[in-house]
Amino acid sequence: MSLLRVDDLTLRFGGLTAVNKLSFEVTPGQIYAIIGPNGAGKTSAFNAITGVYVPACGCVRIRGREAKRPFTRRTLWGFLLVAALTAAGLVLAVNAEPLWEAAITMNYLYQQPFPWAKALQDGLTYLRDVEWKYSAGAAGFGALVGLAGAWSVWRRARCAPDVLAGAGVARTFQNSRLFHQMTVLDNVLVGMDTKLRTRFWHAAFRLPRHRRELRESSRKALEILRFAGLEKEATAVASSLSYGHQRRLEIARALAVEPVILLLDEPAAGMNPTEAAGLMELIRRIRGRGIAVLLIEHHMKVVMGVSDEIAVLEYGNKIAEGKPEAIKIDPKVRAAYLGTAEV
Amino acid sequence: MGARGGIWPAVYARMHWILLGLAALLPAVDLLLPPEFRLADLVRPIFIFAVLGMGLNIVTGFTGLLNLGVAAFMAIGAYTYAIATCDIYPFQLGFWTALPLTIAVGAAAGIILGLPTIRLKGDYLAIVTMGFGEMVQDSLKNLDVITKGTQGINPLPSPTLFGYVFKPETPLPWYYLFLALLAVVVLLTRNLERSRIGRTWASIREDELAATCMGINSMKAKLLAFAIGASFCSMAGGLWGAYLGSSGEPGNYDFQISIIALCIVIVGGMGSVSGVLLGAFVMIGFNAILLTKLTAFLAQHGWTSSDNVFTSPSNWKYMMFGLALILMMRFKPEGLLPSRRVKAELHEYDKDVPRQAGGATT
Repeated sequence: MSLLRVDDLTLRFGGLTAVNKLSFEVTPGQIYAIIGPNGAGKTSAFNAITGVYVPACGCVRIRGREAKRPFTRRTLWGFLLVAALTAAGLVLAVNAEPLWEAAITMNYLYQQPFPWAKALQDGLTYLRDVEWKYSAGAAGFGALVGLAGAWSVWRRARCAPDVLAGAGVARTFQNSRLFHQMTVLDNVLVGMDTKLRTRFWHAAFRLPRHRRELRESSRKALEILRFAGLEKEATAVASSLSYGHQRRLEIARALAVEPVILLLDEPAAGMNPTEAAGLMELIRRIRGRGIAVLLIEHHMKVVMGVSDEIAVLEYGNKIAEGKPEAIKIDPKVRAAYLGTAEV
Repeated sequence: MGARGGIWPAVYARMHWILLGLAALLPAVDLLLPPEFRLADLVRPIFIFAVLGMGLNIVTGFTGLLNLGVAAFMAIGAYTYAIATCDIYPFQLGFWTALPLTIAVGAAAGIILGLPTIRLKGDYLAIVTMGFGEMVQDSLKNLDVITKGTQGINPLPSPTLFGYVFKPETPLPWYYLFLALLAVVVLLTRNLERSRIGRTWASIREDELAATCMGINSMKAKLLAFAIGASFCSMAGGLWGAYLGSSGEPGNYDFQISIIALCIVIVGGMGSVSGVLLGAFVMIGFNAILLTKLTAFLAQHGWTSSDNVFTSPSNWKYMMFGLALILMMRFKPEGLLPSRRVKAELHEYDKDVPRQAGGATT
């Protein structure tokens, strides 16, 4: 069974089709590389897969299930609740002053105790006796606005990057997007954030649960840093790291999300040969943990060295797919990279 | 951050407690001063504005969302507190039940404003929050039956604590009441800042896209920041009402209050708790103590004339605020007591910009 399956993914920017009906499949434990000349749409494909851009059509499936926020009964109740609250709020707002007068001012004769039951009854009587058109209009309009607002917010958040990350897709970025002013450890802890169970109250009052989780998560983050070979830099500020280490930190941060598949966008860019060799070894070890890797890379030594399968993109189209040995000799790939000979 | 090594970093990390400790000792200094210079009476607004700044700091300093509608939340707090306690309404709650209610109403107001607007970025959010501020002010003015329009709601009863009544004519108990509440706010803010919640906020401030790609629901995190910030601002409003013994009139909560709160956060240092405390001291101290005293002193000695408004230092106050902000932005954009992260963010590109005459700065 496929781990990640992309079907007919299409991404357009105005008239430009950046990715055209891209389909491919990554199986568990596979290292799958996407290569292609500059501007072929590799990074755009990544962005469409992770929800950074909304694709024009096509879908992404993780373990056979579409990676979208599901429409559950809870969502429906949420919509109805928002609609009801907006409607009630608008009715109250329209009638605020006379309602207050009928319920509070008329009943309050500077005596205590205040007749709460009578105030409530008078308020309801007022709402019943008032020209029904006004209240109904306000309620209807409020419900409509609430429903539309809730729907549009939900729809746009439906396949946002955080949903994809929750489904097990973690990524790095082409030009490193670390949290540069945080420490290395904090960067990894941000990646781990969705796995933490501390809630607002625990944090605000520093309850024991919060402290325990703080210790545990730091230990786990250090483990991930050790795996990525960064444990010595744990307390350093991310921007002070060398370029190669920053790229490794990005991978460590993505691993903290506990993904089933890791998307690496040009991890070897700007690395020297030693660093690139270290990176290849790291990618293999990530696979050894049972995490599949989807790789975009220009560094052919790295690509040919680690990948199990390669897809070649040109102008948003997939022109070839296969084992590294087959790709190396594919005439279409050669043409895409080097051009065809004039005959 | 000053000199590295030694005890300085440890002192710096606890600066907010040191500042609060100094504030606690201030009434002792007062005993040595002549009666007309007693500070304890005048310092109380500083505490209230420090709470206000703390609320804004969570939204603007920690999460990086520019909020120009802080005054609206303060107004909501002051009016909620007034309606809940004043004896012209049937509710008549005590201080200690009205204050949590004020905080809760503030949080609800923050969520109501936040839900539809939180997706907006940068300047757009600032404009919406600014509009919200005007809206609340006008609504309070026009909901005559409930809010008494421009009269404001007064008089409010004095707070009590275990049978002790805080009388308007004895400032010292008030002083410690406000200081204690401020200390609680500082403690909660620091706890949040150092927890996963503060880390989430900081990650959104630094790079929202990267944060969401790590699975963080930025809507939720921002909404939480908005709600907590609004509840602190609302609390400041409630305290302001208790301090004045009146809700004040809607016009008191105008755009100037929002700007002063923003100045407190910027002058003190965005995202820095101790910075906000110092910022409130500098801004409100300058505004409410120094200028008032100086104006009175000059008038007493006949150095100012009522015919010429330019001779009175009080009338120069916004000029001085503006000048202070410009100088701050030019020479120390990170504030007086900056947070390390924000300082580094503001200076991130300094080393890349070649030093040359007239070179563009980012």
